[in-house]
Amino acid sequence: MNIPNPLNRPSMEQSSRRAFLGTATSGLTLAFFLPEVSRIDELNAAPVGTTVNAWLQIGADESITLTVGSSEMGQGSFSGLAQVLAEDLMVDYAKVQTVQGGPTLATIAPIGTSINTVGSSVIRTNFWKMRDAAAGAREMLVQAAMQLAGDAVRTNFTVANGVVAHKPDAKTWTYGALAAAASKLAMPASAPLVPDTQFRLIGKTMPRFDIPHKVNGSAVYGIDVRLPNMVYAVIKHAPSFGGTLAKAPAAPSGYMVIPTKVVAGTNRGLEAVGNVNAVAVVGPNTWDTWQRARSLNVTWNLPANAASLNTAQFLADAQALAKNATPYAAGAPNGPGTLYTVEGDATAANSAIAAAAKVVDATYSLPYVSHACMEVLNCTVDYVAGVKCEVWAPTQSAKAVLSLVATLMPALQPSQITVHTTYLGGGLGRKAEVDFVSQALQVAMVVGKPVKLMWPREEDFTHDQYRPMALVHARAGLTASGQVMGWSYRNISPSILAQRGVPLGPKGDSQGYEGSQDLPYAFGTGLTEYVTHPSQIPVGFWRSVGASINTFAVESMVDELAVAAGMDSYQFRRSLLTDPRWIAVLDAVATLSGWNSAAASGHFRGIAIGTAFNSIVAEVVEISNVTSTGFTVSKVSIAMDCYLAVNPGQIEAQLTGGMVHGLNAALYGKQTFVNGAAQAKNFSKSRMIRPSEMPQVAVTLVPNPTVSDRTKAIGGAGELGVPTLAPALANAYYRATKNRVRALPFFPNATMGD
Amino acid sequence: MTLTLNVNGKPSTVTVSDGSMPLLWVLRDLLGLTGTKYGCGIEICGACTVLVDGQPEKSCDMDVSSAVGRRIVTIEGLSANSSHPAQVAWIANQVPQCGYCQSGMLMSVAGAMQAGHHGASIMGEVNNLCVCGTYPRIKAACSKL
Ligand code: FES
Ligand code: FES
Repeated sequence: MNIPNPLNRPSMEQSSRRAFLGTATSGLTLAFFLPEVSRIDELNAAPVGTTVNAWLQIGADESITLTVGSSEMGQGSFSGLAQVLAEDLMVDYAKVQTVQGGPTLATIAPIGTSINTVGSSVIRTNFWKMRDAAAGAREMLVQAAMQLAGDAVRTNFTVANGVVAHKPDAKTWTYGALAAAASKLAMPASAPLVPDTQFRLIGKTMPRFDIPHKVNGSAVYGIDVRLPNMVYAVIKHAPSFGGTLAKAPAAPSGYMVIPTKVVAGTNRGLEAVGNVNAVAVVGPNTWDTWQRARSLNVTWNLPANAASLNTAQFLADAQALAKNATPYAAGAPNGPGTLYTVEGDATAANSAIAAAAKVVDATYSLPYVSHACMEVLNCTVDYVAGVKCEVWAPTQSAKAVLSLVATLMPALQPSQITVHTTYLGGGLGRKAEVDFVSQALQVAMVVGKPVKLMWPREEDFTHDQYRPMALVHARAGLTASGQVMGWSYRNISPSILAQRGVPLGPKGDSQGYEGSQDLPYAFGTGLTEYVTHPSQIPVGFWRSVGASINTFAVESMVDELAVAAGMDSYQFRRSLLTDPRWIAVLDAVATLSGWNSAAASGHFRGIAIGTAFNSIVAEVVEISNVTSTGFTVSKVSIAMDCYLAVNPGQIEAQLTGGMVHGLNAALYGKQTFVNGAAQAKNFSKSRMIRPSEMPQVAVTLVPNPTVSDRTKAIGGAGELGVPTLAPALANAYYRATKNRVRALPFFPNATMGD
Repeated sequence: MTLTLNVNGKPSTVTVSDGSMPLLWVLRDLLGLTGTKYGCGIEICGACTVLVDGQPEKSCDMDVSSAVGRRIVTIEGLSANSSHPAQVAWIANQVPQCGYCQSGMLMSVAGAMQAGHHGASIMGEVNNLCVCGTYPRIKAACSKL
């Protein structure tokens, strides 16, 4: 059982389409739609209806194949979908083959047309669709058996393990034997689902299909794609964002140098459409080509405002906007520096705070942070003019790749374009972008051979689309007895959506204020504002994005209020919460961490709670060995309510991984700029924790066990470990030192050697 | 120049423009052994770890010329059918997430085991980076080796 590696299969799209449409008599094929999610469209705006983007095929040979278009980057969602499918299809989980579908523009039978793998979405948005499709297929198979048995009484039939049994005459049929007959029947409008009490798979920790490939080197990531006659391209960008090629350099003998430009749809901030911002050196292998790229002498034009493109200036701009920003006005240009009111009223909040006995006023800052996926950006293209374009990419957005090919190669017919999603060596949001794909396509159009384009690690760090920097100014007023009377919160941060050409409404950028609105606390009169920071350094989605920024500021501030009120951090939060789900999660993490018993001598704990993607999560961080130069993160306890956990073991792994991502960012993560050029160029200047620095981790999921209920929103897991880590850590550090760390990272000058 | 390497127990002949090409790129591009990964290229992450005469080495910083005459084992050669105890433990403990670092991780673990480490002491020898944060499961998997 496996997810085929792309090179192990023929063009999946073509062969599958043939199989599905041409051999209907040999099996049952169901096409259905899984909702598309993109961070920009938001879940609710996802199209519904007629498009097919997932396939379930039951073969006469007893095979069960599920083809989906989402990407596997370690979150285990392929296996999770198979688990859900197998439950209601009533088959053995190990029998389900999941296949990576590629999108296609050919209208006849689009497979995996589009599922963007973002927003921790794969399981939570597809759970019910998958169950309905599986149950519908199972009932079609039963109906086929009813026809064969000449018995129209459904209750005379039972199903188990892919076999339909007719009780009165003790006859049985396998799904394979029924598949052809079932394919002639109509899908029932609704089919009964397996009751929760009979779950064999949902809610159970099941092994992932992709893991065997990942212990023997056989998993094919984008960077591992090899094609006959392939050449290698290594990218070299202008050092500064906004820089452009002044003069094409001469190619070293035996190599090609191909300038590449920013194409529409991949432009971000300073990287404007049409800018020739990089050259690709093309040669016979990665290393020799990379050496030529390194020594290539290229003259670049700096952007006109290069001198102001530095970290100190960005911070100064943010500080000015914290005091003064022009309010949004309908119909006005509302350029950078616009103040958006997300919720509440400034006058009311200000007077509530002014009337308070105690006022807490704090400013938090967070830097730009790189993604640093273990697998650098890369893309392989086999383009034959007028004949075909086949793309292999470690992409979170195969559909965007497809649209890009269609735009850059308008002469190709839809059926001549194929996109293969490979395994991703981490995605973290960066691989939802397609700038690297556009470069590989441009190079392929020139070289006339299959080409693999890779970004050396230094390019990957310095031409990222970073988690935005942010400055947050928060104020709150307390009564003498510690009740919160007023809350005012202003986040100044570059807009991810604006850099993607999305017009901002009166509330501004949802990615910017995510995690700071609709707070569950009884804060009296509240105000949440968002200001677009003018910096044009490219920014993008990053595991939990805005929630990671705002949860740090909100939960640090709440802790400061607890201190001002003279209350325990956990009890203070609890006193401000009314929603039973939030209280349950907070209580769960307190219990898990032993909050109510004293920490060991020299150990200090901090707590934080937050929400993202319909899940509520709380973390307690415990630190020890606190000295003037550092500390040990000893233990992290995590409690989450995602409403329903399909595969708890995998959720635990994701929460742990997200927590480590948050920890790396909180301790060390930062990218700084001089003249528009990023300064941290490799892991040496962007430290991450090593195995020996890993804290002990405990995870608990609430409520547990769950009841499946269609009316409840299932929450995500992939990004949820991130947001509460930084504030819980800062809160623990305050307990230890009485120093409040308001500017991340903790150790901005940390380095890492081997 | 043409060099003959001993990779996974077999002689392999490669032609390189000069002997300074790192072993990593010889394995990946010239021999098609893509299980060994590029992560940083500067000896920090360990994704490129292979065994050279039984010792874990970072192949991104080892000239191919210095690998001649030595026994090189990559993840593809660790066992015939994922049967090395570390591979078995990795599956049992469901260690990998994205999986990209895991070839190097497993080679570091295999090297530590060859050097006589077992159980908890293996972790003292493993310093590879995992951005996905799989360290607790790595530790759990190693504890039984
Ligand atoms: S690639 Fe060799 S240590 Fe990172
Ligand atoms: S499993 Fe992804 S980097 Fe380790």
